[in-house]
Amino acid sequence: MNCLRGFKSLLYGFFFSFVLSIWVRVHGQNIWPMPKSVSFGNRTLSLSSNFELRTYRSNYLDSSGILNEAFERMMHLVKAGHMLKTDFPDSGIQDSVDIALNTFDDMLTSLPVLAGINIAIRSPNETLNFGIDESYYLYVPDTGSILFARVEAATVFGALHALETFSQLCNFNFTTKALELHSAPLTIYDQPRFPYRGLLIDTSRHYLPVAVIKSVIDSMSYSKLNVLHWHIVDDQSFPIEVPSYPKLWKGAYSNSERYTIEDAAEIVKYAEQRGVNVLAEIDVPGHTSSWGFGYRSLWPSNGCRNPLDVSNEFAFEIIDGILLDFRKVFKFKFVHLGGDEVFMGKAPYILLFYSELNDNNMTLSDGYRYFVLRAQNIAISHGYDIINWEETFNNFGGKLSPKTVVHNWLGQGVAQKVVAAGLRCIVSNQDRWYLDHLDVPWQHFYANEPLTNITDPNQRKLVLGGEVCMWGEQIDTSNIQRTIWPRAAAAAERLWTPLEKLPKNPREVALRLAHFRCLLNQRGIQAAPLDGYSRNGPQDPGSCINQ
Amino acid sequence: MACIWDTHSLHFGLLFGILLSFSVTTNGLKLWPMPKSVNYGSKTLYWSTNMQLRTDGSNYADSSGILKEAFERVVNLIKADHIIEAKFANSSVLAGVNVVVHSSDDTLNFGIDESYTLNVPAKGSPLYAKIEASTIFGALHALETFSQLCYFNFTSKVVELHAAPWTIYDLPRFPYRGLLIDTSRHYLPVPVIKSVIDSMTYSKLNILHWHIVDDQSFPIEIPSYPKLWDGAYSYTERYTINDAIDIVKYAERKGVNVLAEIDVPGHTLSWGVGYSSLWPSKSCREPLDVSNEFSFKVIDGILSDFSKVFKFKFVHLGGDEVNTSCWTTTPRIKEWLNNHHMNESDGYRYFVLRAQQIALSHGYDIINWEETFNNFGDKLSPSTVVHNWLGGGVAQKVVADGLRCIVSNQDKWYLDHLDATWEGFYTNEPLTNITNPAQQKLVLGGEVCMWGEHIDTSDIQQTIWPRAAAAAERLWTPFDKLAKDPKDVISRLAHFRCLLNQRGVQAAPLIGNGREAPSDPGSCFKQ
Repeated sequence: MNCLRGFKSLLYGFFFSFVLSIWVRVHGQNIWPMPKSVSFGNRTLSLSSNFELRTYRSNYLDSSGILNEAFERMMHLVKAGHMLKTDFPDSGIQDSVDIALNTFDDMLTSLPVLAGINIAIRSPNETLNFGIDESYYLYVPDTGSILFARVEAATVFGALHALETFSQLCNFNFTTKALELHSAPLTIYDQPRFPYRGLLIDTSRHYLPVAVIKSVIDSMSYSKLNVLHWHIVDDQSFPIEVPSYPKLWKGAYSNSERYTIEDAAEIVKYAEQRGVNVLAEIDVPGHTSSWGFGYRSLWPSNGCRNPLDVSNEFAFEIIDGILLDFRKVFKFKFVHLGGDEVFMGKAPYILLFYSELNDNNMTLSDGYRYFVLRAQNIAISHGYDIINWEETFNNFGGKLSPKTVVHNWLGQGVAQKVVAAGLRCIVSNQDRWYLDHLDVPWQHFYANEPLTNITDPNQRKLVLGGEVCMWGEQIDTSNIQRTIWPRAAAAAERLWTPLEKLPKNPREVALRLAHFRCLLNQRGIQAAPLDGYSRNGPQDPGSCINQ
Repeated sequence: MACIWDTHSLHFGLLFGILLSFSVTTNGLKLWPMPKSVNYGSKTLYWSTNMQLRTDGSNYADSSGILKEAFERVVNLIKADHIIEAKFANSSVLAGVNVVVHSSDDTLNFGIDESYTLNVPAKGSPLYAKIEASTIFGALHALETFSQLCYFNFTSKVVELHAAPWTIYDLPRFPYRGLLIDTSRHYLPVPVIKSVIDSMTYSKLNILHWHIVDDQSFPIEIPSYPKLWDGAYSYTERYTINDAIDIVKYAERKGVNVLAEIDVPGHTLSWGVGYSSLWPSKSCREPLDVSNEFSFKVIDGILSDFSKVFKFKFVHLGGDEVNTSCWTTTPRIKEWLNNHHMNESDGYRYFVLRAQQIALSHGYDIINWEETFNNFGDKLSPSTVVHNWLGGGVAQKVVADGLRCIVSNQDKWYLDHLDATWEGFYTNEPLTNITNPAQQKLVLGGEVCMWGEHIDTSDIQQTIWPRAAAAAERLWTPFDKLAKDPKDVISRLAHFRCLLNQRGVQAAPLIGNGREAPSDPGSCFKQ
């Protein structure tokens, strides 16, 4: 069944389900996330066996190959692992089916052929700045002598989204063994609702190999998420190399569970080529036990190992060194400075330098504020805008740098307070958008609205978007993708698609989401069934689309 | 901790433990599965930035590129996605690998010689690791072993090979080391099947048993009977015959045979969606109608098409869990049985034996599930391989009757049994109570089974690994080198599981039941 919008398209849908066969019903309007505007016809086109990329009237030179590689990836994905007829020039088995294939050849040649796709990009710039224009226009004609799909986009990153959408319009025909596009002529205009559409991964609680991080980035691009929030370090391990302080990664779990600074640069490059920004987090002053394995003086004491010693200048020197190194690798506008769950009241810690705080006329919470604000200034000095977890806002919002983006997580209703105070906000309320909460079903991910109770247009603009968080306490290579997907995709549509196109009841998108989940599976992503409890295995045998 | 095998290597190991650093004790003997014979030294070699594949003295021309591609894969796996530092100065540079293959033939026959020797010298300029093998497929195993000797050094940012010189001689204990996947209960996309094949090669498994069809769906195209795949779950959840060719070719190039199964006469409900006359009746839909010649024609057509695609010596004809009640409750079939002086179990035997004849006529040897042996073992074709699954102790009966056997007792080697632990997978011995050497040879090996009722793309690899790897060592490594107590191999298996993770395979922690999530934060090596 199609997910159809409005009575007119309902009639339309009934008409088609009679006229056309099953694959149209499955493929017609199953784009995820739903574009801003879509109109489509009823003709089937056959993709040329030499389907080509053209860039007529494009200002973008593609000297680094971003577009060309994306096109090749797209063609590979569309095949879904199947062999096209043209991949098999001769084989014994085909002789026996020649007659059958010849009949279908006639059918194939009777279809209009789509020769390729022309992508015209206005900007020659390929720097992935925050808030960049990600919009695109995609048109697939159904008449003309040589048919080319047409993409227009302001930036190459809009064009990448267009290619993803295009890939979801194409499918493999099991009879002709060729690629087809249904529902031509097609006109799509699309742009994201929010500029920040994030997914958090956590490489401190469990190390994630580089290959795994890359596969997460690949899968993000399928639902047009654009920020990978890399929570690199925490109490449990310090896996990344910091050249300025080379003993820090002594806090890694083991010799091999580490990232070199070149690995980090490679991950950033890989992500940017797919239109995904990498937001590095260095969480201070709490969640820092692992720092002290290399530099013990960062611990308040051997018996009490976090937060970082507020009384020690070295704590700030090291943050400065980390951010200096980060700035060379993580080019994103923002750095995340954490600031959550800071427990200052552990007994030995208090005894040790309560006196020192006293000397400076600070209470414990003054110390916390002092630490966060000083870290903010260091980050600003390296050219970063800052993101901090919401506790910083809750405790001393009035003192935060106006450049601060407050990252909500504790619960709902925070964004409205943050934007009322004139600060920017990212929404990740844990009851709806924490992927490690296995009891939160995809429907809740889908229905979580970042702009709840925010009506003033200026305040609305301060909500940059949202992020789903895959905390790693019980997550490693074995289960990360099946815990992320398909629930992250539900949030991705909330963050991409215009509010008025989002149904009130998630039930209305269940089938389209199931289809997207099958698409992820087809692409080798371990997306879990929709119908169970978060990442549970399928309960029974059955079609992917029904689970 | 290194895993040390006998007193000789124990001394060796202790000596080294004192002389050498952390890296050797962790890296020394972390091979999985453990080779037949291993000797190593104490020197560290450094990879050249431009590792060369050479084939000086080889008779194998590699016209199809199997070796070249395998070498490139191995280089990429070892780099593990890390960026390698371009310049470093050291005398002990490993310039590449020289691979000598004696046979020019690259046909992956069953029982082919998979042995290899791998020598990594510690001296010489230029330094080349040397692989020697009878067949290209032995050489592929050698490259996998080589890959497990190499490590990315996070400080120097070059790839190192520790504990040279190495002398490894290796060959498998059993010629049949299988893994079953089930694409009827849940469809598995082609890229997923390929990733399973990739992961099999890491633990030197060599048979992918593809249980293609069952009651629930018929996902594969049969050109001779093109309506059969009307029984697929959906339009897209299907494999064209060319997809199957592609999968077989992909597997063979990695030394993995594909065993196709077409389970008859039970487990066939989906066949009748395209050809309803295969059902005893509309309301009673399996087993296949024994009284209908068309049943055998369709089997003949399937096997005729299969013989062009699945070139493995064997085809699997199933024959398990046949409930014949539809035959006796359908008057037409009941009458046919009476006319032919058969009761229902005669009918079952008749069906299996006739299917066997059809398979033989297409040049296949036959594998059947053990119920066929349990019910009419003496009537089976002598070329039958009996596939055990119901429980332990079956292999000894099968080989005593002179038939060949594959072991998959469900209590130990069914991966869908989530309560079956890796320790149980490791200790399951196919030759239990079989002492006669001639009978031992009739046990071709074993297979772990990933039945698909609760398995799809989302959880298949996590459920297969690391438990399948535990069985893989049982099937590969000489019996006398296998640990009596699986505790002795736990750190080496944990290391292999981390290696799988590094290669992007979703292998689950060792701790807990099958595919359990890690219970706490921690290092991969400790979970």
